[in-house]
Amino acid sequence: MTDEKRGGDGRFRTVDRMLIALMILPLLLCIALKVLYTPEGSGGVDIAGAMIFFEIPAPLQPLIITESQVNSWAIMLSLLALCLYLTHGLTQKAETRRQLIAEWIVEKCEHLVGENMGERYAGYEYLVAAIMGLSAFSSLSCLIGLFAPTGDVNVTAGWAILVFCLVTYTKLQGGFLNYLKGFTEPIPLFTPMNFISEFSLPVSMAFRHYGNVMSGAVISALIGTALRGLSRALLGAIPVIGNIPLLQIGLPAILSIYFDVFSGLMQAFIFAMLTMLNVSGSFPQEAWEKRQARKERRRQRTAAARA
Amino acid sequence: MQSLSIISVNIWQILISFANLAILTWIMKKFLFKPVKKVLDERRENIDSAYARAEKAEAEAEEHRKNYDAAMRAAKQTTDQMISDAARMAERRGSEIENEARERAQEIRRQAEEDARLEKKKAEQDIRREIADVSTQLTEKLLEREMKPEDHRGLIDSFLQELDG
Repeated sequence: MTDEKRGGDGRFRTVDRMLIALMILPLLLCIALKVLYTPEGSGGVDIAGAMIFFEIPAPLQPLIITESQVNSWAIMLSLLALCLYLTHGLTQKAETRRQLIAEWIVEKCEHLVGENMGERYAGYEYLVAAIMGLSAFSSLSCLIGLFAPTGDVNVTAGWAILVFCLVTYTKLQGGFLNYLKGFTEPIPLFTPMNFISEFSLPVSMAFRHYGNVMSGAVISALIGTALRGLSRALLGAIPVIGNIPLLQIGLPAILSIYFDVFSGLMQAFIFAMLTMLNVSGSFPQEAWEKRQARKERRRQRTAAARA
Repeated sequence: MQSLSIISVNIWQILISFANLAILTWIMKKFLFKPVKKVLDERRENIDSAYARAEKAEAEAEEHRKNYDAAMRAAKQTTDQMISDAARMAERRGSEIENEARERAQEIRRQAEEDARLEKKKAEQDIRREIADVSTQLTEKLLEREMKPEDHRGLIDSFLQELDG
């Protein structure tokens, strides 16, 4: 590491090595878990959701800990280690490359949020950074053989519900009655449809992300299986080479670039964009202003009464 | 190992995922944005203060320059004044000296004229005395020659007349 040489003493480098190890270790553990728990390969098309590691009885539904949860936690730990690594030894002169990267990330997020949401929502840059990081790295985790957490509808549903809560919170800034009144617009007849459109937001966000990632995985699995079958049918007669699925070389890798890398990054960006636009778009500007004016009047009145 | 079916909804999983994103948001805020923003703010402050310092220094330099210019102008004025004073004084002194010299010259001339006049008078008197002596001697000589008295008189008279004329 060239940064550390400039950085100076040995302790510096040890900390950095530990952080890098902490970045990689959770992912390696996940791979180990996956290898340990994967059942003996069956010949047919094997398309299934996340593996269940264990189940805890709980009300309503059993609390199940699956691959997607464990992988999510591993990715979160990696991201935490990455954050610590990037922000370790920050100086005003920005002497290290990782500081430049950290500043670039922060400034990009600020810029993105500032451009799409405006001044009022400065606090959303943390959420946007978290969504982008978690979503992108979750989708990319299938490159190292892990089950992508974003391929599980429960994961994306959890995120979409968080966004829905934020949207509702933003709408409530204009007052609870205004929020309820918003459902009867433009005419009371539209109320059921407004309810549906309200709840379609988290559903559409969750399924869009999940569907893109999962469909990519399904297509990859189907094509892989088909190529294996084709290879066995064409080359099966040849003694040694026939046992190796030669046709599986090449095409799945190219498809993976699109389905795993491009689509995964795209969906992360789209999810973050939708979050920003939905939250900032749901803000009831007029109602909020009216409410603020009323509050101001009340404050003045009480001040006058006290005087 | 058991797997979930490809689409299955589990409320606890959704809840865990919700919490995961919330926690990661907090992590991002605490461990990435806060330290980086702190550094950025400090840098901005530093730059602002550096700019302020530079502006102040520039203003000070400008003021110094102005003061210096003013001092230079004042000095130049003073020296000009001094030079012109000196020139005027020198001129005056020169004309004084000239006048004095002229007066002195006139005095010397007057003195010389006076001297010449006195000298002349003295010379006249000397000549008169000389003439008297000569005439006396002449007279003695004439007397020695036994001249007639009328001749004698006439001679002296004509001589004196000649002298006066």
